[in-house]
Amino acid sequence: MKTIVLDHIARIEGNGGVVATIDGNIVTDVKFLVNEGPRLIERLVIGKTPEEDVNLVPRICAICTVSHKYAAIRAMEKALEVKVGPKVKLLRELMHLGEMVESHSLHVFYLALPDYTGFPNAIAMASKFGFEVRIALEMKEFGNRIMKTLAGRYIHGENPVIGGFGKLPDRKELAWIKSRAAQFAPFVHTTVKLFCELDYPDIPEAETLYACCNPPDNKYGFVGDEIILSNGDRLDVEDYKKLTGEFIVSHSFCKRSRYKGKPYSVGALARVNCLGERLEGGARTMYKKYFNPRWTRNPLLNTAAQALELLYSFERIPQVISQLIDLPDEPVVAATKQKGKGTGAVEAPRGTLFHSYEITKGRVSQADIITPTAQNAEDIERYCHIAAQKILETGQEEGIRDRMDLVIRSFDPCVSCSVHAVQVRTAPDGEWKTKLRELQTTGRLMLVGLGSDGHSDDGVGLSLARRMKTSGAGDVWLETELEGRPDVMSGHDQTIVFLDALDFGAAPGKITLLSLQQAAWNSVLSHKLLPLVGRLFDPAALNNAFFLGIQPKSVSEGGKISEPVAGAMEEVLKEWTH
Amino acid sequence: MPKNLVRIGIFELTGCAGDALLILDCEDELINIFRAASIDAFLMAKSDNSEGPLDVALVEGSVSTEKELHELQQIREKAKVLVAIGGCACHGGIQSNFLDPEVWRENLKNVYGDVKMVHAVPLQAKPIDAFVKVDYYLPGCPIGREQFLFTLARMLNGSPPELFRFPVCMECKWHENDCLLNKNILCLGPLTAAGCGAVCINHNLPCVGCWGPYEEANRTAEYALLIEKGFSPDLIRQKMANFSGVKIAEFLSRAKGDPA
Repeated sequence: MKTIVLDHIARIEGNGGVVATIDGNIVTDVKFLVNEGPRLIERLVIGKTPEEDVNLVPRICAICTVSHKYAAIRAMEKALEVKVGPKVKLLRELMHLGEMVESHSLHVFYLALPDYTGFPNAIAMASKFGFEVRIALEMKEFGNRIMKTLAGRYIHGENPVIGGFGKLPDRKELAWIKSRAAQFAPFVHTTVKLFCELDYPDIPEAETLYACCNPPDNKYGFVGDEIILSNGDRLDVEDYKKLTGEFIVSHSFCKRSRYKGKPYSVGALARVNCLGERLEGGARTMYKKYFNPRWTRNPLLNTAAQALELLYSFERIPQVISQLIDLPDEPVVAATKQKGKGTGAVEAPRGTLFHSYEITKGRVSQADIITPTAQNAEDIERYCHIAAQKILETGQEEGIRDRMDLVIRSFDPCVSCSVHAVQVRTAPDGEWKTKLRELQTTGRLMLVGLGSDGHSDDGVGLSLARRMKTSGAGDVWLETELEGRPDVMSGHDQTIVFLDALDFGAAPGKITLLSLQQAAWNSVLSHKLLPLVGRLFDPAALNNAFFLGIQPKSVSEGGKISEPVAGAMEEVLKEWTH
Repeated sequence: MPKNLVRIGIFELTGCAGDALLILDCEDELINIFRAASIDAFLMAKSDNSEGPLDVALVEGSVSTEKELHELQQIREKAKVLVAIGGCACHGGIQSNFLDPEVWRENLKNVYGDVKMVHAVPLQAKPIDAFVKVDYYLPGCPIGREQFLFTLARMLNGSPPELFRFPVCMECKWHENDCLLNKNILCLGPLTAAGCGAVCINHNLPCVGCWGPYEEANRTAEYALLIEKGFSPDLIRQKMANFSGVKIAEFLSRAKGDPA
């Protein structure tokens, strides 16, 4: 058993890691690790004034600093019923577009492009892509300039406050931004073309659910008081917990999210999937030209979606400035209330960001912050798992590391607000024992023996289940006994462990234990399990199911269970009754 | 390629990565710096990172896991000069706000429950000088571009860097701002280390203290003034503590007449 470790993923914002465990020709487990320590931000803002909260929370992440500030301000203004005027709203949109330009141009050119051009970093890439590197730098600087103009400085600017801005930008600066945006137009079109036409590998591809803020007036955009999902569902942002359903995993300080039990993705690709039809102008033309079904299932296309959003942003910036430049200045609106509750959502460059607060007697009494990378963590693991398994099946094990690196980077994870990077490890001998013990301590286990008798080692699952039954080992079933017994499976509070022979290319009798949530797309496993799902099992039951596989020596018809496999069976029994 | 390049490594522990990002944003100047220095390790910017000896290590972030502590000790061993960059490395950052270990543990439990972390053992956030010798400090949240380039340029030329030994008020006066304290607005400028260019006051907003405490500040007088203006001692302490990390305790202990 073997492990691929990407301990530090270079070229992502912050410090994250992934560990993939390989047992024979099966990837048993992929974990996205957050090596950064816990910062307890939601706790340390308790007792602070709303203003202090708005000073503190952007420090979660330097690259999403404006989004954090914006989301916190939106939440506070909702909680304290502060209403700002049209000029402030447009200036906030402009500030946020600055962050989008800065973050997307940094990611597509500096962090992602080297992967597709075979250079270790953007500086090395400059020898061949000098023009792109130069213009990308100028784009990024332009985004910084917008943020500096509106927020006061490029990282952690304090100018945006609850109720408006400390100081409004002058007309001359706004006019400069508007004309400068227009100068980028030809290059931004080339950028979209470059990134939409890159040769994105088709591993990994798998359907997922996408979510983003639903901007008002049926427009494309980066804020909204409603969440829209690619399956058509809509939620009020105050109900964000229904989307995020946060839970904790033991291998990361980054909390996890699932919607109705399913992983989902947020970010540029999610926005293009949910809102792409609303794009206008040049962005619409490019969307129509390049969007295709691959965009609905390939996370690597997130880079292309970011390029498309660069075009949207460059087209939107001059419009915003035209709309606001002649509006009268609006002074900061003071909050008069000392009490209230509110949730603010914005689209950070890498996805939906929620800030939710309760204010009591002028101080923060409850705080909840859900970052995009925390929401993407489950899909990052899932897509890494698919990539690792598919590549392993093509026999190119040495390619796993790079591909997982690519997948993670495509999500543009911001590990400060969540997470560090990739590791591939071989599962040590007997790791299944540790896992089994963990399962035994987590609650009610149901064991189901699969396979067919009379096909040598293929009968091991059934034989093992029979032996367990006679030893009185609890809730044990044979595949055949479950036919016509939907009652057994009603209520999915139990953890199911399937017992079966599994050819994972190891020595006969070797045992492995893996979670089906992650491994269901493994071709051998899906071949075994698909016929049962729907007939015997609600697919939802598989969300909390595991597979204990024993490597067979032979599955030929008529033979008996081989010696190493029988030995493995004894080992499992011993461990089980231990 | 010129010989004898100064070997620099930039490292990130727990924080917002803002200092590394700011360095990345100094591209124009960095091109000049590359003539005298080689960036041997910078995880955010490149994938071919060396683990060899360094002349200068710039470390961002607080120590918040046992693994980070180990990393920091390794960085210290291989670097001739170690510079703490940013508020988290210098003072512990906003995440070191819980000074009492018991309170920190309670809050950790409140967020992560009883789940035992298998990948990293969390530590109460501390600045890096709690564990290793730090040669120079570059405060800021994030560090300031001028201060960073100024410090680096001096180090590249073999001179010890000199930091700004004055409070935000000095920079504020250079910008000819009206003093916000005169308008009864709670501004932390007099207590806060300079380097930001008085950016908040330039925007009609009070200093929030994000550069951390200015060591030579006249704390006693500032306290008396703020209390005279009717601000509650609790609020003053709370605001001052936001960005001062673990260094707040020592800072306040030197303010005579601190009502708390």
